[in-house]
Formats: sequence, C-alpha cells, structure tokens
Amino acid sequence: MSRFDSWMEASSRAVARRTSRRGLLGSLGALLVGVGMLPLLPVARGTEKPAKAGKTEAGHQDATQDPASCNYWRHCAIDGFLCSCCGGSAAACPPGTVQSPVTWVGTCHNPEDGLDYVISYNDCCGKSSCGRCLCNRNERDMPLYVPFRSNDYDWCTGSSVANVPYHCSTARVLARAT
Amino acid sequence: MARTVRFAALAVALTLACPGLAAAATLTPDAAGVVTALPAAASPHWVWVNDVVFSHMSDGQARLVDGDSGRFLGMLSTGFAFEHVLLARDGRMIFSPETYFSRGTRGTRTDVVTLYDPVHLAPRGEIRIPPKRAVTMPMMADAELTDDGAFLLIYNYTPAQSVTVVDTRSRRFAGEIETPGCALVYPTGPRSFFSICADGALLDVHLDDAGHVSGRLHTRDIFDVSADPATEKGVRLGSRWLFVSYGGTVYSVDITSRGLEAGPRWSLLSDAERRQNWRPGGLQQLAVHAGPDRLYAIMHQGGPETHKDPGKEVWVYDLDQHRRVQRIALRSPTGSIQVTRDDRPLLFAAFIGSTTLEVYDADSGRYLRSVEDVGTTPTLLVTP
Repeated sequence: MSRFDSWMEASSRAVARRTSRRGLLGSLGALLVGVGMLPLLPVARGTEKPAKAGKTEAGHQDATQDPASCNYWRHCAIDGFLCSCCGGSAAACPPGTVQSPVTWVGTCHNPEDGLDYVISYNDCCGKSSCGRCLCNRNERDMPLYVPFRSNDYDWCTGSSVANVPYHCSTARVLARAT
Repeated sequence: MARTVRFAALAVALTLACPGLAAAATLTPDAAGVVTALPAAASPHWVWVNDVVFSHMSDGQARLVDGDSGRFLGMLSTGFAFEHVLLARDGRMIFSPETYFSRGTRGTRTDVVTLYDPVHLAPRGEIRIPPKRAVTMPMMADAELTDDGAFLLIYNYTPAQSVTVVDTRSRRFAGEIETPGCALVYPTGPRSFFSICADGALLDVHLDDAGHVSGRLHTRDIFDVSADPATEKGVRLGSRWLFVSYGGTVYSVDITSRGLEAGPRWSLLSDAERRQNWRPGGLQQLAVHAGPDRLYAIMHQGGPETHKDPGKEVWVYDLDQHRRVQRIALRSPTGSIQVTRDDRPLLFAAFIGSTTLEVYDADSGRYLRSVEDVGTTPTLLVTP
C-alpha cells in the first residue's frame, strides 16, 4: 500500500486510536456539522468506506445516522474503535468487556431532528484493541490539561476492572443539550 | 545407524553431483550464540522511534535507527500502552516507564521504570512505581528527566492527577506529588518542573534533593484556554519552553530567577496564510535546534478541528527574529518530527499511519533517505 493510501486509511488513526474520547462542544461544533464540514474531517477521509448507491455499508441512506460510520452524528468528538463495529452498539459494550465508570462528554448535533445532545464517550475495557472502525474526530477537543474535554486520554481508568486495556468506544446520549 | 549411513551416502552423492557445494564447504563455520552489541557512545544521528502499537497495545516497542545509514540497529520491548523512552544525560542508561498485567490484558497491574543497557539493549533492572501512570496518546510531557537527570518525573491520571518522582541515582521511587487540576511534566531545572492547569495557569513545583516538594505555586493564567488553546506538545530551548496554539500562536514560558514568566507571543502565520487556513498539526508537531535558534513546525491547511492532522510541510522559524526562514516540503504526510542536536542536524519525519521514517537535512531541507518498516504505529521520536 502506498504511503498516501496508508494515510487515507489511517488519517484518523493518526491521532487516534484508542485512547479516549471527549467532547464538549457547543454551538460552533454543531454548526460545523450542520453546514457540511463532515466530508473534510480526518475521520471521514480516513475510515469511511465508499458508499454504494448513496447508502452506507449497513444500508443507511445517510452516514450521519449509521452507528457503524465515523460520520454518525454522535461521533463528533470520538477517538477510538467504534463499539458498533465490535459486537456492541453506540450505547453498549461488546460481550465480556467492562464499561469505564469515568468518561468525557461532548455535545453533538443530530441533523435528523435538528437538536444538540450531550454525548458520553464511555470506553469499553478489559480486552485488547478491537481494531475495527477506527474513528477520530476532534470537534472542540482540548489538550490533555483539560482532561474531561480531551479525547487523548485512555478512559479505561478509575476502577480495578476498567484499568488500561482499551477495547472500543461508545457514544451514549445523556440528555438534550440546553 | 542405518539412517546415518543413508544421510552420508546422500551427502556424497550431492557433492559429486554439485561441485559448487564442495567450494561452499570452505567457508569458516559461524560460531553459535553470537549477539551483536552497539557502540558505547550513541551517534547524535540515531533516533528512537517509539511505538505504542495501537492494534496490540500490550506489545509496545522502541526501535532504534541510524539516520546516516538508514540501518535498523535494534529495539526494546516496552509493555502495555507505551509512550516513550528517556535517555540518561551521560548516555549510559535508557529509562522506560512501562505497564504490565499478570495475565496479559488482565490481572494485576504492575508499573515499573525499566532500566536498559544502551549497548546491549537489554534490561538491567527496574524500579517499581505506583500503578497509576497516565495512559494517553503518547506525549513527551508524560514523562521527563530533570535537568541533571537525577529525577524522573511521570504524570499520573486515575483520574486523580499527580506526578511520580523516581530517584535515578538510588534507583528508587522517591514519592508522589499531587497536582490537582494540572497535568503533565515540563522540567525547568535540576530540581523543578511545571504542570499545565486546566485554567491556563502553570503549577510551578520545586523539589529538594530527596525529590520531595520544597515549594509550589500557581502562576497567573499563561494560556488562553477558551479562545485558542495551546497544545500540550511544548518544546524546550534552554531557559524557554515554547508552545503553539491550535491557531498558530506561539506562547513562551521563560524560566527566570524570579520564577516562570510569560514570554513574547507571536504567530507562525501571516494574515494571508491564516486566511488560507494554514495551521500547525500532528502528534509531535514541533522541534527545536540550538545554534542559530530554530523552531520547526509541521503545517497543513484545514479547519480548527484539524489540530491533530498530519502535514506535508515543515516551516522553520528564526526564534530571535520570530520570522520564518524556510519551508521544507515533505514527501509524505507527517505527524511527528525531531531534529538532532549536533551542528549538522538531521530532520526526522514519521507518521502514526505509516511505517516509514523519512530523513532530511535539517539545514537545507534536502531529502536524504527513507527507512521502511520502522514500526507499526510510530508515535514519538527521541534523539540522543
């Protein structure tokens, strides 16, 4: 694979990969999603498979509504492997893993209903990396010195069972952002 | 015995049929058990390519490459969620903060600083530390040595924030310093460092000779966190730490006799370049070189959320004049750079999404060579 291809495939990986999630966001991030910036995001460039006949691999017409897509609306600030591709879902961990008790939160805009939601990016822990659907989007991501707004931490921490080994990331809706 | 006879007959038959084999038999037999070693002194043009191995994080690696020849010299196996090695000032030891589990990916967690012999690249000892080392996207400020190398400082996140202090002379855990609200370690002298706090202020910490806190204070806010945050990917040149914001503003933190002070702010970008969406990006996006003092920054064009994207250019700045003196075009997208410390410096370029290391002349920007398969997901580059 050429280095360029490798970059296209891994651009999100670039920063990505596992460590963690975060969010915060606000109107700006929501606005960006809303005005068609998504195709430019590293994730979109890096991990999205070409859709056939306008549909995603899972048959969705719109990638922003496909939980297995990096462009899924909840993934606006995610960094890691999508649990929807790893035997779990956008809100649930895959079998045999443990959901981290601590996490970081973001706010993402759902283009389907036009509302903003607070998203909790809980990591699923206790096994080796899932390795599927790597996704890194950095809307309003902050440096490590603002921990709960930084997607560069491994959030498999805070308990003896969710301690370092990172498997994948969920994107749970907590509430409508007000 | 019958089998031996058959083999001997076969060997004779092969020798008669293939005269070349007889000639090959004149080679001197190789000795068994030979293991290579490295020179006692590292070349300034060597580079450690640190690799977290994202897809198999229990298998962290640090891989050593000679930038002059492109030769791969050897590697270290460095455990789970590896970040980077630290090289002793005298070149006689390699320190590596590492994490292990008793059952591979589960079981009892053990954190250690492993001591490696830089000639044989073999472990020579370890220092047990509290099992709370921060696991993050690898950053240089996750662990640093004080200026005299006497103490190794390691950032912890559980999510409580603290710093582990290891005495490298006695090879013992010296203690733990709580740093609530503040992250990472940036050495400022033989017995001092700062951490960056979430409000943009710095926590200025001083140590005694036992590695215990002798003084600490918060500075006023240095960084503008809300409008345009500076990344945590700072680089140090002498008595100055340099940080760059998402939007390309350079922040200086000066180490003075009066304490830490904010130095001049300036921009990597002209107004025209800013309108064209140029900005710094990458994982290890800055490097410095002393002499004529130079700052190297990976640059790309993209929106505010692309602050971690790789770039295909390195812009070089005169740190006295705060002006750009060169644009280096890179062959491949690059997220990590490092410049060697000598007076004929090399520029190394790597990317977490590629397995190739590129080498450039850091003065002229001329491409020199590529080294393939330097790792799986190369992160941070460390030079002697």
